[in-house]
Amino acid sequence: MAAQGTIVWVSGPAVKANGMSDAKMYETVTVGNSKLVGEVIRLTGDVAFIQVYESTSGLKPGEPVVGTGNPLSVLLGPGIIGQLYDGIQRPLRELSKASGSFIGRGITTSAVDMTKKYHFVPTVSNGDEVTAGNIIGTVQETDLIEHAIMLPPDHVGGKISNIVSEGDYDLETVLANTEKDGQSIPIKMYHKWPVRKPRPYHKRYDPTVPLLTGQRVIDTFFPIAKGGTGSIPGAFGTGKTVTLHQIAKWADSQVVVYIGCGERGNEMTEVLVEFPHLKDPRSGKPLMDRTVLVANTSNMPVAAREASIYTGVTIAEYYRDMGKDVVLVADSTSRWAESLREMSGRLEEMPAEEGYPSYLASRLAEFYERAGRVQAAGSPERDGSVTLIGAVSPSGGDFTEPVTTHTMRFIKTFWALDAKLAYSRHYPSINWMNSYSGYLADIAKWWSENISEDWFSIRSQTYGVLQREDTLKEIVRLLGPEALPDEEKLILEVARMVKIALLQQNSFDDVDTYCSPEKQFKLMKLCVDFYNKGQQALKEGASLSDIRELGVVSSLLKARMDVKDDEMPKLDKLEKDMQEQFKSISGVKVSN
Amino acid sequence: MDKFQPLANSSLEQTIDKILSQTEKEIESNISSALSDSQKTLNDALPNLEREYDKIIADGKKEADKIEKQITGGADIEARNKQLLALEESVDKVFKSALDQIVNADRSDDYANLIKSLLEESTKILGTSEIIVFTNSKDKDIVQSSLSGFPGSELSSETIECLGGVKIKSKDGAMTFDNTLDARIERLKPLIRKDIAAKFGVNN
Amino acid sequence: MTVEGGVQYSKIAEIKGPLVVVDDVENAAFDELVEIETTEGERRLGKVLEVGNGKAIVQVFEGTTGLSISGTKAKFVGKVMEMPVSKEVLGRVFDGLGRPKDGLPDPIADKFVDINGEPMNPEQREYPKDFIQTGVSVIDGLMTLVRGQKLPIFSGSGMSHNLLAAQIARQASVVGTQDDFAVVFAAIGVQYSEAEYFRRSLEESGALKRSVLFLNTADDPAIERIITPRVALTVAEYLAFDLGMHVLVVITDMTNYAEALREISAAREEVPGRKGYPGYLYTDLSTLYERAGKLNGRKGSVTQVPILSMPSDDITHPIPDLTGYITEGQIVVGRDLFRQGVYPPINILMSLSRLMKDGIGEGSTREDHSEVSNQVYDAYSRAQEVRALAGIVGKAGLTEIDLKYLELGDTFEKEFLTQATDENRTIEETLGLMWKIVSKLPRNEITKIKDKYVEQYYKEE
Repeated sequence: MAAQGTIVWVSGPAVKANGMSDAKMYETVTVGNSKLVGEVIRLTGDVAFIQVYESTSGLKPGEPVVGTGNPLSVLLGPGIIGQLYDGIQRPLRELSKASGSFIGRGITTSAVDMTKKYHFVPTVSNGDEVTAGNIIGTVQETDLIEHAIMLPPDHVGGKISNIVSEGDYDLETVLANTEKDGQSIPIKMYHKWPVRKPRPYHKRYDPTVPLLTGQRVIDTFFPIAKGGTGSIPGAFGTGKTVTLHQIAKWADSQVVVYIGCGERGNEMTEVLVEFPHLKDPRSGKPLMDRTVLVANTSNMPVAAREASIYTGVTIAEYYRDMGKDVVLVADSTSRWAESLREMSGRLEEMPAEEGYPSYLASRLAEFYERAGRVQAAGSPERDGSVTLIGAVSPSGGDFTEPVTTHTMRFIKTFWALDAKLAYSRHYPSINWMNSYSGYLADIAKWWSENISEDWFSIRSQTYGVLQREDTLKEIVRLLGPEALPDEEKLILEVARMVKIALLQQNSFDDVDTYCSPEKQFKLMKLCVDFYNKGQQALKEGASLSDIRELGVVSSLLKARMDVKDDEMPKLDKLEKDMQEQFKSISGVKVSN
Repeated sequence: MDKFQPLANSSLEQTIDKILSQTEKEIESNISSALSDSQKTLNDALPNLEREYDKIIADGKKEADKIEKQITGGADIEARNKQLLALEESVDKVFKSALDQIVNADRSDDYANLIKSLLEESTKILGTSEIIVFTNSKDKDIVQSSLSGFPGSELSSETIECLGGVKIKSKDGAMTFDNTLDARIERLKPLIRKDIAAKFGVNN
Repeated sequence: MTVEGGVQYSKIAEIKGPLVVVDDVENAAFDELVEIETTEGERRLGKVLEVGNGKAIVQVFEGTTGLSISGTKAKFVGKVMEMPVSKEVLGRVFDGLGRPKDGLPDPIADKFVDINGEPMNPEQREYPKDFIQTGVSVIDGLMTLVRGQKLPIFSGSGMSHNLLAAQIARQASVVGTQDDFAVVFAAIGVQYSEAEYFRRSLEESGALKRSVLFLNTADDPAIERIITPRVALTVAEYLAFDLGMHVLVVITDMTNYAEALREISAAREEVPGRKGYPGYLYTDLSTLYERAGKLNGRKGSVTQVPILSMPSDDITHPIPDLTGYITEGQIVVGRDLFRQGVYPPINILMSLSRLMKDGIGEGSTREDHSEVSNQVYDAYSRAQEVRALAGIVGKAGLTEIDLKYLELGDTFEKEFLTQATDENRTIEETLGLMWKIVSKLPRNEITKIKDKYVEQYYKEE
C-alpha cells in the first residue's frame, strides 16, 4: 500500500511528513497540493524526511504526501537520444509546452514519446530461451543509433512466445512474451530502472583501448581509456566547460551523455544550439544524433541536482548494455557534492571537512565505480563501455579541498587546469607537469599497432623536453635567458614550439578543433625532429638565431590550424623543408 | 497560495463604480490640467535649453548634447511624475467618497449578510470557532445578532475604530484576523487603483 | 510593496539576530511574506524561512532592533513577496524592498510578480550573441559583452569600478535602439554618494527616464539587501520579457549581499562553508545571476553587470570565486594599474568574456577580431613575463625580442587601455588600436593570426 502522510515541516528543499510508516527508503513521493516530486531519504518512526525536486515556495504543513511505491527510476527505451532532460528525466521541451519559458511546478510528462512508432526487427523467435539482458530485436532510434531492445536486467528469463513480426510499433505495444513456470511476462520496447542501482553486466575487462578525443594534450599526453575514469579540476575561467564540450563533441564513442549539474543555463543552450549543426567526424551525421543532455542548472532545485548524476549514469549504462561505447561527462561533480552537503545540513547530520557529509567519499567512489568496459549480460555476446569524466570546481582553485582530493582517489586520469596558463591564453589550460594518466602503459599498445611503433618513444622525448624546460625556467627566472648555453636555449625554444604547436589547441578554429591521431603523431614527431636536428646543427657550428629564424618554424607553429586532417602530405613536405633548411644553415650534411 | 477568495467584494466594487461615474468629470478635468501642466513644463524647458545650449557651445558639442538630454529627459520625467501625482489624487478622491458612503450607508439586511460571510471566512482562516469579535460602536448590534450562528464566539465589549466589518481574535489571544472593511479595502487597493487608472486611460 | 491581510500571531518564542520565531502557527507556508508589527505599531516585512510543528522562523528584512517578545505581532500575508510592475516604473526610484523612495505613489501595477522569479527553462533560452558596443576599448576588443550575458566587475575597495559601470551604462545605451533600452540599477549597501553618482550619470546622459533605481544604501537595514537584487531583477525581467526592452542591470556591491546572507545563516546556526559563508552561497547567487538571458520568441534581454569588491583584493575569496563559476566571465580591476593612475585599470589577463566568441566576427564586429584579440592577449602576457624578468636581471639580460615585448606592454597600457571616462570609441577604432599593438612585433612572432589577416592589417614599424 502506498504511504499517505501529512507535511509537518518545510525548510527549503527539505520536507518532513508524518504518517509515513508505509514509505520505503528512496521511494518517490508526491508532495503537497501541487504534487511536487520528492524522494524519501530518511525514515524515523513514522516521519519521513523527503528531498523535494521542485521549488517548495508556498508549501504548508498540513498538505498531503503520497507515496508512489517505486524508487526514483528512469524510463529506458528509444527516444532518449537527442533529448534535454532535467535532473529527474523530465524532458525540458515538454515542460516548456506546459509552462512556457520558465519552469513551472508539479508537471508530469513522459520521458519519451510513447506513441512514436519505431521499425522493430526481431532477432529471436518463438520458443527461444532468453535470460535477463537478452536482445530480442532492434529499432533504429536515430541515424546513428541502432537501439537494442533488451530484457530488463532483473528479468527472470524464460521462453519467447507471441513475438511480433518485423514492423512499426509504438512503445506500449507488447512485442513478445516470456513464459516461465506458467507465468507470462509481456516485453515492450522500454523498461524502467532505479537510478541508484548500477545495471548488472556479465564480466568486466581491463581498459586498453584509448578514448580518442581529437584533443592533442589529452590523446597524446594524458590519455583516457574507454571505460576509464577521468577528472578535470580547475578554477573558474580555466576553460573547464570548453574542454568538456570538446570531449563531448569529438570523442570516438557511439553515445554521449552530458550532464550539466548545477552549471550555467546558457551552456546547455549552447550545446543544444551547436550540436545539431556539428558533424560527427567519423559518420558525418549531426552530433545531436548520439547525444543525451541532462540539465539541472545552478538555479534549478538543488535536490534534483543530486539526482541528475544518477539519472545520467543509468542512461549511460543502458546504452552500454546494447554494446556501445558511451562517454558520460558530468559538469560539475562539485555542485553535486554541494547538493549532498545542503541536504545533509538540513538533515542535521554531523559534518566532515568543510561541511561536506562524511559519506562524500563513498558516494564519489560509487559513482566512478559505475565506469567500465564490460561484456553485457545476456546474448548475443557484446562489449560496451561507460567512460566517466567529471569536472571538479575547487573553491578558490585549491586542489586540496575535499571534492578534489576524494575524487583523485577514484579516478585514473587527472587533467589539472591551470589558472596561470589560462591567464596567458594557453588553452586548453591543462598543466603538463601536474596532470597524469594511469592508462598510458595500457593503451600504448594501441598506438603502436595503429599509428606508429615509435609512438611511445617519441612521446617520451617530447615530454622530456617539457620536463627539462621546467627546470631550466628556474634558472632563467633568476639569471635571465642569456645566462644559458645555446643547447639549453634550444630546449626553451623547442618547449615553446611544443606548447604552441601541440599542447595549445583552438577549439573555435574549424581545423584545429579536432586533430586526428595521425596528425597528432606527425606534429609531435616534427617537434622532436626539429629538436634533434637543432642540437646537431649547433654542434656543427650553426647559431641559435639561425635556427630560430628558419622559415619552417612559423609553418610548424601554424600547422595545427593550416593543415587539415586529410592533408597529411603537407606535413611530409614540411618535414622535407625542415631537412633542407637545416642543411642550409649547418653547411654540412645533416643526418636523418 | 490563495487563502482569500474574493468574498463580499462585489458590494464594495459596486459602490466604487457608482462613485466613479459621479466623479468622472471632475477627475478627467484634474488629469487634463495635469497634462497641460506637464506640457507647460516641457515648453518652459525649451527656451531654457536654448539658453544653456548657446552658453556652452564653445565647450563642444558633446557637452551640449549631454545637457540637452539632461534637460529634456528631466522635463519628461517631471511631466510624467505630475501626471502620476494627479492620478493618485483622483484615486484618493474616489476612495474617500467610497469610504464616506460606506460609513454613512444604512445597515440593511445586505450588511447583516456581509457580516455573516466575513465571520464565516474569518473562523475558517483561524481554524477555530472559539473567538472574540471586535467591531465599531455603530455595528455592535448587527454583529451581536449575527453571532447567534457562531457558537463559541462572543462580542468584545471593547469597540475598535473602523468603517465596518469585524476583527476576530482567538480566545487564547494568539491569533488575530482583521476582516474589517478598512483592511479589505486596503488589500484591494492595488487592484482598484489599476481599474481607476485604466478608466482614465493613464496606464497604457 | 503592498501589504495584504492574513492571520496575525502574537506568540513570539524567540528573537535572535534578524530572525523571529513565532509559536503556535497553524497556517503558514514556506517562503510566505510576513508583516511584523512592533509594540509601537511600526510595520516591518519578513519572510518564512522554515515552518513546521507549530513554529515559523521568520527573517525580518528591516532587522529586529526594538522588537520585544511581548507586543510583537506577526501577520502571515498568504502570498510570497511580490513586486508590482508596469511601464511606469521607468524613471522611478525605489528603496531596497521596492517601495517608492521618490515621494511618488506606488506604481500602478500591470501585474504583481513573485520576486524570486522562476528558473528559465534552458531549452527555451536563446543563446546570447548580439554584440553590445560599450565604447570602452578594452571591453569591446578583449572581453566583449553581449546581450543576455552576465559579466561581473571584480574590484577592490576604493577603485574606479563605479566610474566604469556608469560609463558602460551610459555608452551602451546610446547605440542604435534607443527606445528599447533600459537600465536597472540596484545599490546594495553602498554609500549614498556612490548611488548618487550613478543616478547623476544616468541623468546627464538623458537615460534616467529609461532607468529604474533601487537603493539600499549603507545606512539602510542589512537584511533588506537579500531582497534588493531580487526586486530589481523582477522589474528587469518584466521590462525585458513582457515589454521587449534590452535591459542592462547594474548591481553594486554583491559583497554586501553575501554578507547579509552570512548573517542570516549564522543566526540560524547552520554549518558554515568557507569563511563562514553558508554552503548554499553558490546556489543562492545563481538564483540571481541566472536571471540574465534571452528567451526564444521574445524580443528583450536581461544583461547583468554585477559589481563586487573582493575582500583584500583576493580573487579566491568565496564571493568572487563562486560568482566566477556562475557568471560568463569577469572583468577584473587591477590594483597596480589603478595605482599607476590608469583608467580603466583592467587586468586583462585575469579578465575574460565567455560569450565573446559568439558575439564577434564577421557580421557583428569584424572577421579578424577573434584572432587579433588572441594575439594581443598572448603578447601582453609575454610582456608581463618580460617585465618581471627585467625587474630581476635588468634590461641587459633580455633578448632583442624580449625588449620588443616590453615596449608593446607600455603601448598597450598607454594607448589602448587608457581612455577618458567620456570617450566613446567605435569598434573600428578599437580594432585599429589592437593592430597597432600587434604591429610592434616582428611578423614571425605572430602565431595566432591567419596570414590573410596579417597581410591585410599588419603594418610593421
